[in-house]
Amino acid sequence: MFRTTPTRLASVLALTVVALMASGCASMIPGLYPPTPVTAQGHDIGNLYDIVFLIAAAIFFVVEGFIIYAVIRYRRRPTDTELPPQIHGNNLVEIIWTVIPTVIVAYLFVVSWQTLNTVEATSQNPQVHVVAIARRFSWSFEYLGPDGKSLVNGPDGKAVELPGTMVVPAGQTVRLSLHSPDVIHAFYVPQFLFKRDVVPGHENTFDFTVDATDAGQTFRGQCAELCGVGHQGMSFEVQAKTPAEFDTWLQQQITQAKAVPSPPPSGKAPSGSPGASPSAPPAAVSLDLTAKNVAFDKTSLEAPANQPFDIKFTNDDQGTQHNVDIHKDSPTGQVVFDGEVITGPDTRLYQVTPLPAGTYAFVCKVHPTTMIGTLTVK
Amino acid sequence: MTASGHALTTEHSPVAGLAHDTRGGISNPILGMLLFITSEVMFFAGLFGAYFTVRASTNPWPPGPEQVGEGMAEKFNLHADPYLAALLTVVLVTSSFTCQLAIWAIRKNDRRGLVRGIAVTLILGILFLIGQAYDYSQLGFGLTDGTFGTTFFTLTGFHGAHVLGGTIMLSVILYRAMAGQFSARHHDAVEATSIYWHFVDVVWIALFSTLYIL
Amino acid sequence: MATTALHPAVPAYRSGLYEWITTTDHKKIGILYVVNSLLFFFIAGLLALGVRAELAQPKVQFFAPDVYNQLFTMHGTVMIFLFIIPILAGFANYVVPLQIGAPDMALPRINALSFWMLPLGGILMFTGFATGGAAAEGWTGYSPLAQRAYSGTGTDLWDVGLVLIGTSSILGAVNFLTTIFKMRAPGLTMFRLPILVWTVLVTSVLVLMATPVFTSALIMLFIDRNYGGHFFDPATGGNAILWQNVFWFYSHPAVYVMVLPAMGMVSEILPVFSRKPLFGYKAFVFATAGIGALGFSVWAHHMFTTGAVFLPFFSLMTFLIAVPTGVKMFNWIATLFRGQLIFATPMLFALGFLTMFLIGGINGAFSAAVPVDFALHDTYWVVAHLHYVLFGGSVFGMFAGLYYWFPKMTGRLLNEALGKLHFVLMFIGFNLTFFPMHMLGLAGMPRRVADYSANAGWSDLNLLASIGGFTIAASMLPFLWNVMLSLRNGEIAGDDPWEANTLEWATTSPPPPYNFDHLPEIRSERPLFDLRHAGAAHSALPAKYAETHS
Ligand code: HEA
Ligand code: HEA
Ligand code: CUA
Ligand SMILES: [Cu+2]
Repeated sequence: MFRTTPTRLASVLALTVVALMASGCASMIPGLYPPTPVTAQGHDIGNLYDIVFLIAAAIFFVVEGFIIYAVIRYRRRPTDTELPPQIHGNNLVEIIWTVIPTVIVAYLFVVSWQTLNTVEATSQNPQVHVVAIARRFSWSFEYLGPDGKSLVNGPDGKAVELPGTMVVPAGQTVRLSLHSPDVIHAFYVPQFLFKRDVVPGHENTFDFTVDATDAGQTFRGQCAELCGVGHQGMSFEVQAKTPAEFDTWLQQQITQAKAVPSPPPSGKAPSGSPGASPSAPPAAVSLDLTAKNVAFDKTSLEAPANQPFDIKFTNDDQGTQHNVDIHKDSPTGQVVFDGEVITGPDTRLYQVTPLPAGTYAFVCKVHPTTMIGTLTVK
Repeated sequence: MTASGHALTTEHSPVAGLAHDTRGGISNPILGMLLFITSEVMFFAGLFGAYFTVRASTNPWPPGPEQVGEGMAEKFNLHADPYLAALLTVVLVTSSFTCQLAIWAIRKNDRRGLVRGIAVTLILGILFLIGQAYDYSQLGFGLTDGTFGTTFFTLTGFHGAHVLGGTIMLSVILYRAMAGQFSARHHDAVEATSIYWHFVDVVWIALFSTLYIL
Repeated sequence: MATTALHPAVPAYRSGLYEWITTTDHKKIGILYVVNSLLFFFIAGLLALGVRAELAQPKVQFFAPDVYNQLFTMHGTVMIFLFIIPILAGFANYVVPLQIGAPDMALPRINALSFWMLPLGGILMFTGFATGGAAAEGWTGYSPLAQRAYSGTGTDLWDVGLVLIGTSSILGAVNFLTTIFKMRAPGLTMFRLPILVWTVLVTSVLVLMATPVFTSALIMLFIDRNYGGHFFDPATGGNAILWQNVFWFYSHPAVYVMVLPAMGMVSEILPVFSRKPLFGYKAFVFATAGIGALGFSVWAHHMFTTGAVFLPFFSLMTFLIAVPTGVKMFNWIATLFRGQLIFATPMLFALGFLTMFLIGGINGAFSAAVPVDFALHDTYWVVAHLHYVLFGGSVFGMFAGLYYWFPKMTGRLLNEALGKLHFVLMFIGFNLTFFPMHMLGLAGMPRRVADYSANAGWSDLNLLASIGGFTIAASMLPFLWNVMLSLRNGEIAGDDPWEANTLEWATTSPPPPYNFDHLPEIRSERPLFDLRHAGAAHSALPAKYAETHS
């Protein structure tokens, strides 16, 4: 019943994979390499990755090579009428192929432990201490002074959280503490090659230093731990400035915050516009919008152009989450406003920053295929 | 068959596959019970693990007046009044002995001794359950009262459920014993039940030590 | 063989529905397991196709985030708990008693109970879709997200369903261990057991020790959600990391529950189709036991970024587990060396296992280097890893076993051409789907996202992965077609179509109730080989299989 004719299929296919993998590392378009790191710690991790990758690639090619060799060389031939030698094993080779991998993994363990120590090392006196607050589904940042007290405070003396963007001085050590009031999130900036969970009831802290040469750059960051319906949109930005620029910026925040009452933590500014203006002048226009039975009560809204307005959003669906996002042009267009997701029954006052005249769509991001309406701004 | 030349010892029986359980030693149901109990041990290990984790991250333990208020802190202080629990421990340990007496009896084919032993064990088991229900009614705190209440009631509650399961098994054994279904050669079910009962007893000793003494 | 004298037992398997529902025959229960698991495989596969459809392009097209989260949660949960673990248990159920020359499992009624808990648990879990949404916290169900405040009834059903499925596993493990310890045929010493039986033994120990801990975690979660308990929610004094510790204390050993029996199957198949004994039998036994033991000391490698575990220890143990796995890999390859390889479909899938599991193992070792895991954790890299080990490993191994034992189970052979088509399509589709995920992960794409930015540069690779996903689905069509054809009028298999080594091939296909009326004498781990080459196991006899015995 055997097809004694040898099939080279398996070997050919295995070769294809090898080729695919090789081309992946050669051309490096996304490729099998992490992005170029932009922090001191990231460089260490990148170097460790190089070592691990090289060893892994070597093991991969050697072992796959043996398999493919065996498949081609030892396929049954029509002339094979006798049983092959019935070899049951060999203790020497068992020892060899136990010891060699043990040595390899021991080495890998040692180098990764060393890297771990440098990555986890904390400075005695970091220049800046930032607290990142991750809540469903947005990020905001507080700046602390050496005494551990908030620097950016409202007129009432309460700490002001700057939404959406973390600004840091390049070339200086930044200490970041992570705080979550609800579920677990994770602080992740791909170009840092680093992430750390934001665990409620357990504050994580680490240091990082953005390369001085990267001042002026902005890095994309994202929540990496599933935290609910808004998880995929829970992004932030890290802006690196020169230390001088940073000081100016921070000073500006401190004065601005003192001048105006801090807004209730409602809609966050769309990522892209740095959280420079935590305050908005009181809006003249307020629109009402209600979600009930997984539908908006209105299919169209109107708002004035180039001035801030409010949306009073009521969620009447018991236990269901809704929000209001505003997209440019169409329901899949660019997001220009991202309202906090609320679980019904509840109400929020969303403060929308001025929009240029045009057609927009308002969408619940939890139910983006069904809860849609048009917003005309003129 | 190549084996045809051999005598029909077990080793060369042509129907070896049918002649299962001829290797002597422990019987299938008892081995099964031992393995099942291994899994039960791990189940309680999970609960104990949770208890110790919560306890390690709560200082002081039990939570004091600053954390939960004067009244609650007093109720949480189980060390102050472990007497009822200690009495229940005595009850359960005694029942383990009576259960073992029953086993020894039936191994000697003493069916009366078996019925007597199992009956006393069953009564002690029920006594324990009543005692624990009474204790619950006197504690003054509940499952929802902080991590202390949650862990206390989960641990003792699951143990109680196992005691209840044990008493049901004992009842069945008692019924079958009175119907004369067991003998010195045939009493796997009794052995298995007694192993289970000893296990429930051991879990209680561990519980009593951690909750009331440690 | 003497056994062919028994009338073909095929008609016995055509008996009525009632017979199937009430059966305690390990062979029927084994088949029930396999069919039930394949059904759930297709359902979970369809959910995965939903995931791939949504991710093919940026923007939300088909599934809103709340539905998307349910899709991958149910996909992962069902694939793991209702497909791969039970289907391997199903093959073990069918094969182990036969391989040890036993008439049935040690506790046949408990065996039936174990099986019937599975569809029940599965149905419970799926009713979530009808009660306002199934569980949506990922198969890992992290708290506080899985607490009442953030999730609905679907999560309770998920929880209860898993308790049932876990209990089924535990009872199954008790049964396997009792069977293997107590029901071996005379002469079948522990070191003559087929490797598959050894892997099932170690797997059962893992289930017995780990699954109850998961059950306890699920029960604590249930208490938190429904009775106001405070185990896992920090908002009320609980500990969010505690859930992760108990969950992974189970779920890491569980990944070996998901792969060891597949390794066992491959260890049966490679020697048969290489016409050589397994190289390094004892090394396999020790490596399997070693993996099992080490498996209990690595769980926190899933928690490297929590900042709440002792990193160097778990890093070291995780690295070390590559050693016994490597020993297995090298012994498999040595089995091929100097053999006469026959590329029948089971062999192709077994080779698929070797080549693909290797990739999954190696990319797992990346994560053992803690700082590297800081970059890779919760990105698509991990999704690539888990599919290379679970699909490239376990699923390829499972299909190898399916093609290998199908003739024994049904009495009929599967068509080779369709089988090869299945393999080729699946192999290509698999790599198309999951290889690009390495690159996506490195480029920073987090897992469990319904949408991604169009200018992140991830669109092409995602499209590729989606095309691959549908290719895998397409590969199931020749497979299903093959099974249907073969059940109707496939070639009759005979007792031993593969010239295999182990006892199950000494009885009819399918075997009669109680399996054997005769057993050959057992003097090695290859009793049938000994029988064919009576007395000259170590010399190279002409491959003419004389029908002289008996
Ligand atoms: C069948 C299932 C299976 C198997 C067998 C494995 C095997 C391994 N896994 Fe995997 N793993 C999963 C299923 C599995 N895993 C799943 C499902 C997840 C994700 C869970 C989730 O979050 O949803 C996961 C996640 C996961 C993580 C967490 C990643 C993260 O979230 O950040 C880590 C970290 O260390 C890891 C490591 C390993 C290692 C080191 C092995 C080793 O056992 C591999 C050993 C094998 C080899 C290395 C190849 C052969 C060896 C040689 C040829 C010798 C020479 C090699 C060397 C010297 C390196 N796995
Ligand atoms: C054994 C385990 C297993 C298997 C086999 C698979 C198979 C597949 N998986 Fe996986 N997957 C997991 C286990 C598995 N998965 C786990 C544990 C997770 C993590 C979940 C989590 O994050 O919580 C995951 C997550 C996961 C993700 C990440 C989701 C996210 O993070 O957002 C993706 C994305 O592409 C994916 C895709 C696929 C695909 C395309 C397949 C394909 O192989 C599927 C192939 C398709 C089919 C098999 C369908 C065939 C059916 C037909 C052709 C119809 C015939 C119908 C009838 C006869 C009725 N899976
Ligand atoms: Cu926050 Cu995901
Ligand atoms: Cu793991």
